[in-house]
Amino acid sequence: MARAANPRDQVAAGDAREIIAGSDIRVVRQGKEILVVPNIAVREGEVVAVIGPNGAGKSTLLAVLACLDFPERGRVFFRGTEVTKRNVVEIRRRMSVVFQEPLLLDGTVLENVELGLRLRGVRDGPRARAVEWIRRFGLTGKEGQAVHTLSGGEAQRVALARAFVLNPEVLFLDEPFSSLDSIARQELLRDFRRIIRDTGVTAVLVTHDFLEVRLLATRVLVLSRGRIEAEGTPESISNDPLWGRLAGLH
Amino acid sequence: MRKNRYISAGLAGMLLAALAISLVEISISGCATKEDVILATTTSTLDTGLLEVLIPVFEKKTGYRVKAVGVGTGQALEMGRRGEADVLLVHAPESEEQVVAEGHATNRKRVMHNDFVICGPQADPAGIRGEKSAAQAFRKIAQSKSLFVSRGDDSGTHKKELEVWEEAGVKPEGHWYQECGSGMGQTLNIASEKGAYVLSDRGTFLSLKKNLALVILVEGDRSLLNIYHVMQVNPEKHPKVNAKGGKAFVEFMVSEEVQKVIGGFGVKEYGQPLFFPDAGK
Amino acid sequence: MDLIWRGLARGVKLLLSGDPEIYEIAFLTLRVSGLATLVSLVLGVPAGLFLAVRKFRFRRALVGAVNTAMGLPPTVVGLWVAIFLWRSGPLGALGLMYTPTAIVIAQVLIATPVVTGFTMASVQQLDPKLPRQILALGASPLQFWWLVIRECRFGLLAAVMAGFGAVISEVGASMAVGGNVRHHTRVLTTAIVLEVNKGNFDVALALSFILMTLAYAVTFALTVVQQRKRRYVT
Repeated sequence: MARAANPRDQVAAGDAREIIAGSDIRVVRQGKEILVVPNIAVREGEVVAVIGPNGAGKSTLLAVLACLDFPERGRVFFRGTEVTKRNVVEIRRRMSVVFQEPLLLDGTVLENVELGLRLRGVRDGPRARAVEWIRRFGLTGKEGQAVHTLSGGEAQRVALARAFVLNPEVLFLDEPFSSLDSIARQELLRDFRRIIRDTGVTAVLVTHDFLEVRLLATRVLVLSRGRIEAEGTPESISNDPLWGRLAGLH
Repeated sequence: MRKNRYISAGLAGMLLAALAISLVEISISGCATKEDVILATTTSTLDTGLLEVLIPVFEKKTGYRVKAVGVGTGQALEMGRRGEADVLLVHAPESEEQVVAEGHATNRKRVMHNDFVICGPQADPAGIRGEKSAAQAFRKIAQSKSLFVSRGDDSGTHKKELEVWEEAGVKPEGHWYQECGSGMGQTLNIASEKGAYVLSDRGTFLSLKKNLALVILVEGDRSLLNIYHVMQVNPEKHPKVNAKGGKAFVEFMVSEEVQKVIGGFGVKEYGQPLFFPDAGK
Repeated sequence: MDLIWRGLARGVKLLLSGDPEIYEIAFLTLRVSGLATLVSLVLGVPAGLFLAVRKFRFRRALVGAVNTAMGLPPTVVGLWVAIFLWRSGPLGALGLMYTPTAIVIAQVLIATPVVTGFTMASVQQLDPKLPRQILALGASPLQFWWLVIRECRFGLLAAVMAGFGAVISEVGASMAVGGNVRHHTRVLTTAIVLEVNKGNFDVALALSFILMTLAYAVTFALTVVQQRKRRYVT
């Protein structure tokens, strides 16, 4: 379960399958350590679910791995290259993040889905790619609609299309389904699962919901009070009494 | 995290601002090479419109540009003391002499006079109409506690008013005595609205008469003479002043041509001159 | 009432007759206040964005200072600027006292806190997580600020209107550092004060109508832009 060798050596050795890795990460807020992770790595093709009780540091861990926050201590590597303030924009452009809320920008569905491509200066048919992803998330016909007229489920589909259109090397999802009502959620989960399978995208999924873990994850990390308390497959974790105690599930 | 970039962005912003400001300086003031003469003067010379007639003549003649700043005599003299003005046109002889004695001003010349008048409501509750002595009139106002509005702004008119109170032996205090801290025009408006007595220079009163419910009740007392002097700020004490421009303005004001204009100013509109030329007296 | 009608009639007449002095004063007013608003945008919008988005040590103290400065009396600003610009003052050598530039400087100091405050408020109305999402989409710093500005552009237009409204209507600072010099630094507000002092209430009213018309026209134009429905193209 735990990796025996020094993670830095591994990274230095350049494990080609490791997309994002962190070593010796510590995040402090108001004098309190809210995240302490000696080492973590996400390999190609994995869907890593991060679960744990509220305030466990799940979103903090995701923000660090998605290069949105720099930890007080420790280093983050993207494909063996250390993430620095200098190269962070370039690295962020090789990943995508979807949050709990859609966080769309004022404009149309198409404008939102195209946005990431435009920010990257993609000249080669961003529109066609956006239209394709709008279709895959079942929103064909709504391209020109203003996003503030969409339902919550539709808006979250736009957010997902906006992330997928970028063809990310790793996709970060911070409870992307939790604010939807149960019908919209089930429908979206079904579509999402198919798309994940089809694309084989590497992903990190923060969630509260064990159903999502079972449906989507290949590996599970259990986080509590800022520390990784357990790691395993969805099956092994769901049978682990520790998880039941931590999450109050079972 | 991107501290340096923010700092440079801030600097760029300030640079832009500075650039824009200097652009407008060039575009608006255009001929910045033209030399400015800053004239600090009492409001009465501006409010009556006299300077609006004289300044263009001076500018055309000398090529200087005059910036006439209308303030109370007290502030005008203070601007002279600080070297913020080049030339002063004011009417408070005693204070002026002090400024000259301190060495802040020089080349002081008498330009013109008009006189102060005591105005009040037609009904004249204090019964001062036709009174020969200004001090006696003030005493009556105080005794009857009739409303009196004072400039209260350390202007030439205010200083004159305080002189008259002193002569009358009255300390102006109480609810009947109100200091409004405004220019002459505003003070006359207030007095008119309140039906109060007020000391005014004749010129301002005449030019505003059409809007006022006030009449002249007392005039002609020698102590009510209102004398205007022009003087340049002393360049020996304040090296930054435009000494040549100041000197030119002093000479201009006492020149025969200008003295003639002063004597004729307002005759057409009010039937009598607002100022009497005095140069050489 | 009679006076109001006379003033209005006089105002229309002054405008129609093309009195060059009236136009000169009106144009100077627009130029000075317009430029002051522009400069205050250059300074105030980045400051407002920064204060709204970044967390740092003295943020709260600074926000408090900005809110206080939003209500700074123009006369006080005028006094301070005058002290700096006087010949004897630290910037006296520039010879800016009693120039339109001096008025612009004072008005920039009046409008910048207003613009900063309005910018801050409009950014804070956005979802606080939106800036992160924009970064996560791969925005460079420049693209980031541009998108944030775009998201709160309606609030920013309100900032422009508030800043412009504050400076075109102020008289204390213009009087103190401009001196109301004829043909040079006389703007609408100082001209109104002068005409009131002269007892020319009808002219003063006429000028006030022109001032209100100008302020209204500019604000109206901005409101049209602000309220215009975005057209969506596919």
